Amino acid sequence: MKAIPRAALYVLLVAISAAFVLPLVWMLSTSIKPEAQAASGAMRLLPEPAGDTLTIAAENYGKVWNDPAVRFPLYLRNTLIVAALSVVGMTLSSAVVAFGLSRVRWRGRGVVFALVLGTMMIPFPVIMAPLFVVFRGLDGAMEAVGLLPTFESLRLMGTLKPLWLPAWFGGAFNIFLLRQFYMGLPAELDEAARIDGCSQWGIFWRMILPLSRPALAVVALFHFIYVWNDFLGPLIFVNDQDQFTLARGLQLYQGQAGNTPWNLLMAASAMMISPILVLFVLTQRTFVKGVASEGLK
Amino acid sequence: MSVGTRAGTMTRRAALGAMAAGGLGFALLGPRGGGAAERQAAASGRIVLDYWEKWTRHEGDAMRRVVDAFNQSQGRIFVRYVVTADIGQKSMVAIAGGAPPDLIGLYAFNVPGYAESGALMPLDDLAPRFGVTLGMYAEGVRGVMTHRAPGRSDGPRWWACVNTAGSVALYYSRAAFREVGLDPDRGPRTIAELDEAHRRLVKRRAGSEGRGALERVGFFHPEPGWWSWIWAYHFAGGGPGAGTPGIYDAAADRATVDAPANIEAMRWMQGYSRDLGQREARAFKETFGNYFTPENPFLTGKVGMIVQGPWVANLIGAFRPDFDYGVCAFPTLDGQGPPVGHIDTDVIVIPRGARHPEASMEFIAWTQRQDMTELLATAHCKPSPLAVASESFLANHPNRGVRVHYDLFRSPRAFHAPRTRVWQQIKDEFDTQVQRVWRDEAPAEEIMRALQPRAQAILDRAAEQRRRRGGRVGA
Amino acid sequence: MSAAREARATLTGLAWCAPWLIGAALFLFLPMGLSVYYSFTDYPLLEPPVWAGATNYARLWDDPTFWRVVRNTAWFVALSVPAGLIVGVVLAALLGGRVRLARLWQACVFIPTLVPVIAGAMVWMWLFNGELGLVNRVLGLVGVRGPAWLVDETWVLPSMVIMSLWGVGQSVVIFIAAMQDVPAYLYEAGRLDGMNPARQFWHVTVPMISPQILFSAIVSTINAVQVFAVPYVLFRKPDGQNPAGHYYSMYLYESAFVYGQMGYACAMAWLQMLVIIALTGLMFWASRRLVHYRGGGAGA
Repeated sequence: MKAIPRAALYVLLVAISAAFVLPLVWMLSTSIKPEAQAASGAMRLLPEPAGDTLTIAAENYGKVWNDPAVRFPLYLRNTLIVAALSVVGMTLSSAVVAFGLSRVRWRGRGVVFALVLGTMMIPFPVIMAPLFVVFRGLDGAMEAVGLLPTFESLRLMGTLKPLWLPAWFGGAFNIFLLRQFYMGLPAELDEAARIDGCSQWGIFWRMILPLSRPALAVVALFHFIYVWNDFLGPLIFVNDQDQFTLARGLQLYQGQAGNTPWNLLMAASAMMISPILVLFVLTQRTFVKGVASEGLK
Repeated sequence: MSVGTRAGTMTRRAALGAMAAGGLGFALLGPRGGGAAERQAAASGRIVLDYWEKWTRHEGDAMRRVVDAFNQSQGRIFVRYVVTADIGQKSMVAIAGGAPPDLIGLYAFNVPGYAESGALMPLDDLAPRFGVTLGMYAEGVRGVMTHRAPGRSDGPRWWACVNTAGSVALYYSRAAFREVGLDPDRGPRTIAELDEAHRRLVKRRAGSEGRGALERVGFFHPEPGWWSWIWAYHFAGGGPGAGTPGIYDAAADRATVDAPANIEAMRWMQGYSRDLGQREARAFKETFGNYFTPENPFLTGKVGMIVQGPWVANLIGAFRPDFDYGVCAFPTLDGQGPPVGHIDTDVIVIPRGARHPEASMEFIAWTQRQDMTELLATAHCKPSPLAVASESFLANHPNRGVRVHYDLFRSPRAFHAPRTRVWQQIKDEFDTQVQRVWRDEAPAEEIMRALQPRAQAILDRAAEQRRRRGGRVGA
Repeated sequence: MSAAREARATLTGLAWCAPWLIGAALFLFLPMGLSVYYSFTDYPLLEPPVWAGATNYARLWDDPTFWRVVRNTAWFVALSVPAGLIVGVVLAALLGGRVRLARLWQACVFIPTLVPVIAGAMVWMWLFNGELGLVNRVLGLVGVRGPAWLVDETWVLPSMVIMSLWGVGQSVVIFIAAMQDVPAYLYEAGRLDGMNPARQFWHVTVPMISPQILFSAIVSTINAVQVFAVPYVLFRKPDGQNPAGHYYSMYLYESAFVYGQMGYACAMAWLQMLVIIALTGLMFWASRRLVHYRGGGAGA
């Protein structure tokens, strides 16, 4: 921006960045204070006395980790399970469908692709409530054919399955992203592989998939973060507190009668955010490229 | 921030790999829901029951002790105590989803909604088989245990057993009373006396701008603010038992939010807010500590009188055992006759679709034993819901005002939350409007008159839906 | 291709797309269809649905709470979307140029979008606390008496907009990438024509990134209309819902899962979808005159 003198520009940048990061800094600062000081609203970064910072921090974070009422490690585990299953499913299935929409020539390809695009606009509230009924209905169907209660592990309601099962059927957005990527790969690759006797699946599995690693990384990364942060899904489908995810569990700290222990809540929030932040630092370039490609359609 | 070198990429990959490995490991080997004891029980062939309950901390510990005693007393059933927040909402969804727990600890005001939608298992036949009868309970408490059955016009059915019961009374600081020249042994009996006590107790900081920042108030409606709707009953002289409907007329299925009693009560409340000053009151409230901490405003002397249930004695015992408090029934207009107060209970129910209803009932029967109930009631500082209480229980009760709460159980003028299926929605609306009254956004009368048709619309819709489903209206 | 081969090719194509087709049928179209059906019934979730004709829609019309949430949501969309676009473009202009440590500034602005909404809401709840929150304390330092952001009804909307601006980082990154794609010769031409940097920005940069602005506008609008988690955490309290903080999706959720009125909720959901389609259509129509696509045609 040549309109602004350099020095002023940098001052502005620092101020803006500080404003954006401030809430997180404050989160961290509150998380290392004892409850009384955290709730006092004093404008200090470190607790008083500052020398106790490490002990208090250890105490707070320890309390969050060991809290019998809000079982952070359990919720972490649940979140990891859902995230892992969800990300694997989403990446694979979206790749498969994207392949079908780009590297295979068939009539109606355009129609299906348009359909995929169209569904991107469906707001979640429209399907939110009936989705509940659908899963219950699937359980009912399984009961009718005798699968339940014989194979109780197939049951959908009251488990984490509604959170990750739909991911195994692909997501419109990711299919779109991967399809665009595949369209960019030269067609001669398929030709060469076919001449070598490769089946369609072989082309996909052994050639296209490995080549699309960067795009797959973007899909996996973004979906991981989405699942990690998802609040509405668990709110609707998970009622057994033992199956809460982190996003859902965090809300438990919001006390029933205005009873919020701010320092513990911030500590829990900081713990919940940190893997994502670490991930971001390690993959910043992939991130930025992924987000940018989103908009450049 | 870019780590562009080859070594950088490799370290990054290594770090990512480590994270993935760690995550996977934790996912596979991390903690599981439930405890070792429960898994052991299941392994040894015992029926495992899931009991969702709202209580945490010491209240939860007390119930856990009851649960442990039960588990140890026999070898066929193992009950697992699961703390559940937002229990009224979550249980409904769990039951609807077809995967309910075996026992649920709800609030009494949840019962009509659950019962009418067929979410509960009736106890009429089940309970007596395990020795539990309605007659066991104090009269004032029995009202919450029954409700009409869905779509039927014959008599009410039995849906819930009460595990702890409380009522709402006025708690005041005797030291503060003494300080301003009031008799510490005599709590206010009429509204006028309450107003006078409040006036004397209000203390402002000298020299601040405007009306003066508040340091102490006498009575403060938003503290704790859990029962926004009860004032009407105190202005009407009671609930249905006293012949007045309060804010809901069950017989006619009508909201009576615009009845004179409620309007006068709201005007009275708004008067307090105006008198204290909007800004000052709000600023004051934000300096309150949380409920269960030593900074609770009642304990720190910021609020001299509060409405609360008997469990507040636990708060006092935990943080300021030497706090000198008095208890009396919340005043009425004329201060005559039997006491008026809201009876608020916790119930335990068996949801529809529970897999082992008989085992569930056996556990409920255990919790309704006199010794178990008194254990729970003592730990919660509440009176016992049973008709009969042991001498030692009363003599050693940790709440010095427990008799006030007992008197409310026996009073014909005590009242429950409106027994209608849509109470939650009406209460949400009421809470919102009461906030507006407190914030003086319009005259109280105007706000309540505007609320009446809305509340009635909610009731009418429920009635219409009941009709459509073929049930008898008002059954 | 011969007819038989074409048929086989179609089957193959469908086979590849099967996961999505089955999933969409089960988890998108079926719920959508059910949603339409339920919107014409009474459905308390625990009992089977009962046909009720159009009463749900009729009741919506008469329901003051419905209009309240419509009003609140409309205001939120009307303010937060333009604010987000303006702030996003301005920030992109500042951060995207040749500055030292560009990555650092961009990271700072982007990181808040990774924070789970729940955690973010809790932090802001703390920051906006009327007496003890940082925002008011800082204002106090310069002698301004800050309002009760989350309690006072007039300040709920501004606090929601501020919180939504905190998440503008995603748009910023998109805009930066788009800005970097603007061919340099356009700026050259502008300079030769005597345009100062400000006019260059308005007449060159903005039009060239207008497709991305459109994209961002559409996505932000769809998200704003559905706003749920932040107000659910901040404004729905045990001692009463703040009426100014009551939004459309919240009332939808409450109707379905708290008040046992799923039919009502589905009616609300369909209306919401119609509004989104209408708004999106409106933006596309407006874009024909305002958005400049390189290469002349509509986007890829």
